[in-house]
Amino acid sequence: MDLLQILVNGLSVGAVYGLFALGYTLVFSVLGVINFAHGAVFTLGAYFTYLLIGGAVGANGLLAGFQLPFALPFWGALPLAGLGAALVALLVERVAFRPLRRRRADPLLALITSLGAGVILVNLIQLLVGAESYAIPTGALGGLPASFPLLGARVRTVQALLLGIAVLLLALLTLWLEGSRNGKGLQAVAEDPETAQLLGIDSTAMVRLAFGLSGFLAGVAGGLVGLSVSIAGPYFGIGYGLKGLAVLVLGGLGSVPGAVLGGLIVGLAEAFVPADWSGYKDAVSYGFLFLVLLLRPRGLLGRPLPTKV
Amino acid sequence: MTPLLELRRLTVRYGALTALRGLDLQVREGELVTLLGANGAGKSTTLRAISRLVPTAAGQVLWRGADLAGVRTHRTVRLGIGHCPEGRRVLARQTVATNLELGAWLRRDRAGIAADLERCYGLFPRLAERRRQLAGNLSGGEQQMLAIARALMGRPSLLLLDEPSLGLAPKLVAEVMAALAALHAGGLSMLLVEQNATAALEIADRGVVLESGSISLEGSAADLLADAGLRASYLGSG
Repeated sequence: MDLLQILVNGLSVGAVYGLFALGYTLVFSVLGVINFAHGAVFTLGAYFTYLLIGGAVGANGLLAGFQLPFALPFWGALPLAGLGAALVALLVERVAFRPLRRRRADPLLALITSLGAGVILVNLIQLLVGAESYAIPTGALGGLPASFPLLGARVRTVQALLLGIAVLLLALLTLWLEGSRNGKGLQAVAEDPETAQLLGIDSTAMVRLAFGLSGFLAGVAGGLVGLSVSIAGPYFGIGYGLKGLAVLVLGGLGSVPGAVLGGLIVGLAEAFVPADWSGYKDAVSYGFLFLVLLLRPRGLLGRPLPTKV
Repeated sequence: MTPLLELRRLTVRYGALTALRGLDLQVREGELVTLLGANGAGKSTTLRAISRLVPTAAGQVLWRGADLAGVRTHRTVRLGIGHCPEGRRVLARQTVATNLELGAWLRRDRAGIAADLERCYGLFPRLAERRRQLAGNLSGGEQQMLAIARALMGRPSLLLLDEPSLGLAPKLVAEVMAALAALHAGGLSMLLVEQNATAALEIADRGVVLESGSISLEGSAADLLADAGLRASYLGSG
């Protein structure tokens, strides 16, 4: 396999990791906690995409044989799946985060409640559609060829799409955060929630916005991974969830460019692992994480850590 | 006439600790009232209770005669209560201009916002010079000016100020107090919490001295300034 192919592979996987980690980052920046249900929302995004392109449920769940009465092209299914995932993320915020905030509980408790919400979601998936794997056929892309030549190499269309869509979303999110009124409000809440309220910013609305966006990104990432790899079962988001955490810490907690950079680095590092050694991919990414934490505990683009006794 | 702000028997508790016990206080339209007292007397708590940042255990906060019970913090801003918090709390990662822009979060009148922005830069020319800089890189005095200007961008009817002179050099204290006096002369109502009692009383209409969560002394600013006993016990010798 030549270098260009490896680069495209690595960057496309890395871009999805970046999308995934950005969802964590958005919620972390406003609440200071990790949303452990994020992986489950990602998984749901993949299943939503599968259903929306007209995929049928297998024989093992309560919904055995279910199929939507319509079939959308992948282009239409992906954003809708993102919206569906955003709604689920809002629901997670409502049941796992807001009751704690209202009672002024220790924010760390949300780690447990969100983990619980994630477990429930994953089990619901299993209950409804069974544990088998589903593939999103590339036929859903319409007439696009399976691969195309680029600079003398052949690039899989799916991977180019992954990279393109992820980069587009990352760019839009950055522009929105820096340029729009709500983006600035979100950043204000992230920096100092109390002061933001004293400026008239509704912090609850901003938290909801962060969850909605985070769910959308996770849902789209899920759909893209479902397309490029397949949906390996209700638990397939867990591995991505952990990888996303590694990316998050690698890039620097709470840093938007850090999440993107961390994702690309981990994706590339994995792509350079030879196929015969593919079982060691995870070891490579977590080894990277270990090394960065050793040399630079705040992550690549993180802010200096507060001094603690 | 209904006062702009009225606290009735306001009580605030932090767990077992009672920070305010049955505080009665009024701020009338156009008035500058200063709230004095030692550390821990309940001054900041009073402002935080008005802005609904802390729950009230008993009593009422009335705004133009209406009870603020159940109103959330960001709503008090819409009602016309501006709060310039203790420790300045500028958004360090944002520029001076963005901080001011966020101060006008609830407003949609672009022309009015632009005019107020120029007014703020006129009041504090140093901010105009540094408008593209990150607020975190400003000096303490500049951050205080930014915090006041940011609160003004919301066009408050009442401005709550929590120790604006804290940590500032005497020359800057004078500069900040002069700016507050100018705003007061322009008709803005203020509730000013201060440790620097002399500086505060020199620009205030009335003064209220808190001790352990209730009022120990109140009167016109001129009387309080002249009160030798007050000087000795609360204001220090200065």
